[in-house]
Order: sequence, then structure tokens, then C-alpha cells
Amino acid sequence: MKDILWYIILSLIVAGLIVLGLFWGSVDVSSLDENSIYIIKNIRLPRVLMSLLCGAGLAVCGSAYQAIFQNPLSDPYILGVSSGASLGAAIAIILGLDIIFFGIGGFAFLFALATVWIIIKIASVGNRLHTTTLLLAGISINFLMAALIAILMVLSSENMEKIIFWTMGSMSATKFSDIWIVFLFVLIGIIIIRIYARELNAILTGNESAKSLGVNVEKTKKIILLFSTLMIGIIVANCGVIGFVGLIVPHIVRIIVGSDNRKIIPFSIFGGMIFMLLADILARVLIAPSELPVGSITALIGSPFFIYLLYNAKKQLNP
Amino acid sequence: MKMGEIDLILEAKNISYFVREKRIIENISFSLQRGGFYCVIGTNGSGKTTLLKSITNHIELSSGVVKINGKPIKKYYQKQLAKEVSIVWQHNEFLFDFSAFQVVMMGRMPYQKLLQADSQNDLEIVKQSMEKTNTWHLRNRSIKQLSGGELQRIMIARALTQESPLMLLDEPVSSLDIRHQFDIMELLKKINKENKTTIFIILHNLSLALKYSDDILTLKDGHLMHFGKTRDIINKENIQELFNVEAEIIDKDNIIINK
Repeated sequence: MKDILWYIILSLIVAGLIVLGLFWGSVDVSSLDENSIYIIKNIRLPRVLMSLLCGAGLAVCGSAYQAIFQNPLSDPYILGVSSGASLGAAIAIILGLDIIFFGIGGFAFLFALATVWIIIKIASVGNRLHTTTLLLAGISINFLMAALIAILMVLSSENMEKIIFWTMGSMSATKFSDIWIVFLFVLIGIIIIRIYARELNAILTGNESAKSLGVNVEKTKKIILLFSTLMIGIIVANCGVIGFVGLIVPHIVRIIVGSDNRKIIPFSIFGGMIFMLLADILARVLIAPSELPVGSITALIGSPFFIYLLYNAKKQLNP
Repeated sequence: MKMGEIDLILEAKNISYFVREKRIIENISFSLQRGGFYCVIGTNGSGKTTLLKSITNHIELSSGVVKINGKPIKKYYQKQLAKEVSIVWQHNEFLFDFSAFQVVMMGRMPYQKLLQADSQNDLEIVKQSMEKTNTWHLRNRSIKQLSGGELQRIMIARALTQESPLMLLDEPVSSLDIRHQFDIMELLKKINKENKTTIFIILHNLSLALKYSDDILTLKDGHLMHFGKTRDIINKENIQELFNVEAEIIDKDNIIINK
């Protein structure tokens, strides 16, 4: 019963923010004339929809990653997976693959998957993942990707602007045609992760513990990593790197509903939508008529939050 | 089952586990009778935990066969196996804040389909297990805030909800004070008697082994040294051989270690 009340409140907040996102911006659309309708329908609506999808997808990916890596500080951005995807996207652009259907998305996904594989290889000790090493691996990958992208930008200066977009994150270039493909992947990803929510709970109590409860740990982890990374790839390919959503949202959700992933996932969908919509509105209006990259807004909120969590968790993670 | 045949729940035949060239356990054979109370003793590094993992498909055996209910464990799906064997692990780390109730409910997972919600029957079994382990009052407490004794009782309650005929425990009392050690052992005895659950427990405390277990397996350097009735096997000579200490058995329940 209590949950239903929460869902109603959260839905109302999302609805309110959608309205705000459609009507508030650098251009006054209160007259609702032809021009205003055009702006709302063709510029703001796609952005709002993309923000909803990205927010939900990134937040659910974050909670999935935290379960798979058994580490409350995991998030696709911190682990370098998003940067990996953005490198893939940059390479696809330089190779001119943006004309092929799914060219950028496919490259972003493959690079994201490769990054996941690398950090798991680096951080594995026996059949466990070492927490500190995992975070350090992610940070190093982030450095490496940043360097490679910088080199690509210099070598391919005509594409510089497009590539910058991928490293900072933005909803501004959203078209309706992109939304459908993002919607499809986010929907499939969330459904798969929700199906395995109970298995993820068991994995949070340890690999051996989960196995003795009858969970096929390796298979579950592979499936969840594959589909969440696919979501990351497709989101990065369309909106660039937007960090910390997957860290902040599940954390706040956990404070409200506890650690049961069967609840965390639906609540993260709402939390992610709200957070992303707010971030995109702020990105548009803070220095209007200019615009900030939305990734910088999430990072401004996210990095202090991450430092705070790191500070709180250091005793717990390093006994 | 034919008349006169002994009802075996688990059989291990010539099992060995090597990591590269190093042997962890070698050529161990034994069988467990349904309803028995077995304990395993041995020095640190003698292969006790490896033995537990190898008979539950947690590690890939280098050679040998383990059968549960006459069927090789390799032929079981993970979920099926979890209905036959429950395990209480030595280390339980909780980085995430589950309630005690949620953790015990996880024991029902082998019986639940994907996306299936917890049924009334599941709730009933969780309640029974928590009442039996005297943890029902802890149900809303965070698993991170429980004391060592409380946590062990919760993990035993979780194993109970798996309703498996065989329960394995890896040193469940090692980190507890004497009072709580006895509490846990009494609880296991009760589970053994009332639920007819076969208990297979790794212990360090020889007095507890002597007091509670019917049969004992002793390990040294990865080899099975003795397997038989506990009261026959725990004696001065065997303790000397296994642990290299002088011991004196005072009565049925008490052992004095001199050195």
C-alpha cells in the first residue's frame, strides 16, 4: 500500500517536470502560437522523452552494476564503461559510420563491453572482485579514454565538435527517430534486469552464498552485464557520457526502500527520470540563451556525492 | 530402497582437488547416512572448507565422484541442488542493507520461479524457521547490525527455509563466545532431531564435536585420517596425531589440552 502511494507521488513529480520541461526555456512559449507549438513539439518534446529514457536506463544500469560488482560505488561512468562507449562512438564518427544504421550505437556498445571485460580482468582476485582495485581500474580507464579521445579530436579536427558532444553529454541533438531505438533497448534492458532482480539480491550476499541458494551466478552476471552494457552503449551513442546518475539514484532509492532489487528497479526508473529531467532543464535555463552540457550538471551534483560516499564507505570497504 | 539397505544421502568416492601441482584434498571417500550428525575436524589448511565445497559443486573436482541421493551432483541443476543441500558459510559479508527477514526469505529461492512473488506458504516457512532459530523478533533488523551469534542464527534460519534434507556448516561457531557456541550447537541438534536434517559441520572445538556429533571425519594435509563414531575416534593418540598436542579426555564431553 505504502509503495502505491510512493508510485503515485513519483508519477506526479515526473508529470510536473515533463510540463516544466516542455514550457520552460530560453524561448517564451506561453502564447502557444504556431511558432511556440513547433518549438514544444519538435525541440523540447524529444529532449524531454530522451531525458526520461536516459534517466531511467542509467539509473537501472547503476543498480544492476552495483549488484553484479557487489559494490555500492559501482556505476557505468565511474567504472569507465561510459567513456569506453564514447571512444567507440568517436571512432565510428571518424570512420564515417554514422551513416550506417546502428553504426555509432554498435561501436559504442562493443567498446563498452570491451571496457567491462578489461576492468573485470584487472580487478579479479580468484573469483572475487577487489573493491578498491575495481574503482582504480575504472578511474584509469577513464584517463586512458579521455587521452585517446583528445588525440582523436586533434587528428580529426573537422569532427571535433561532434566528439566534444559525446564527452560531455547532451540531449540537444535528439530526434524522434533516435528515441524509438533508445526506447526499445532501455525497455528490453530494464525488463531483463527486473526478471533477475531476486537473483541479484542473492548475489549481493556473495557469490558462494548465491550459488548455494540455487542461483547460476556466472550466467546471471553475464546476462545482466550484457543487457545493461547494451543500454549504456545505446544511451551514450545518442546522448553522450552522462555520469553519476547510476550512482546517485539507486543510493537515494535504497535509503527509501531498502536493498531489495525488486523494489529498487521500479523506484530507480522514477528516480532516474526525475533526476535527468531536472538536470536537463537546469542545463537549458541556467545560462539561457546558451546551454550547458547536461553531463556537467550531473557531474557537478554527482562528484561531491561520490566523494561523500567514498568517505563514508572507506571503513566498511577496507576492514 | 531395498530392505536392509542403508539410506545414504551423500556419497563421495575418491575425490581429489588440485590447484596446479598442489593437492588440497586427495583421494577422499566417505558416505553420509540420512539423519546423521557429522562433524569434520582438522588443522587450518587441512582441506576442510575445500571438502565442503567439493561435495556441493562449488569447485570443479580434479577427480572422483560425489553423489547426492544416488545421483552425481554434476547432473543436478543449481536450483535442484539447492533443494537438497543448504550451506551456512563461514564468512558472511553484507555491504547492502537487507533486513533479517529478507535474508531468510532468500532461502525460498530454489522453489520460486522467475518473477514469482513470495507466496503465503513461503512466508509461513520463513516464520517457522525464524521461530525455531529464535530470530523472529529480529526480522525487521538490518542484517548489518546483528551480533555474531544473531547473524549465525539468521544464516541457519535461511538454510532451514531451503527445506533441504542435508545442511552443511563451515565453522559456524568459531567466532562466537562459549555460551553462543553451545546455543548454536543445541539449535543444530534440535534441527537434526526434529526436522531429520542431516548435519555436516566443520568444527574447531573438539569438546563440541565430542558432545554433539555422532560421527566424525578428521582431515590432515588433505587426507581423510579417520571416519567413524566420534567417541571412538577422539582419543589421546588421534588428537596427538592430528594436531600435535597432548590431550586428556576427562569424560564423554570434556577434553583438556595440555600443550
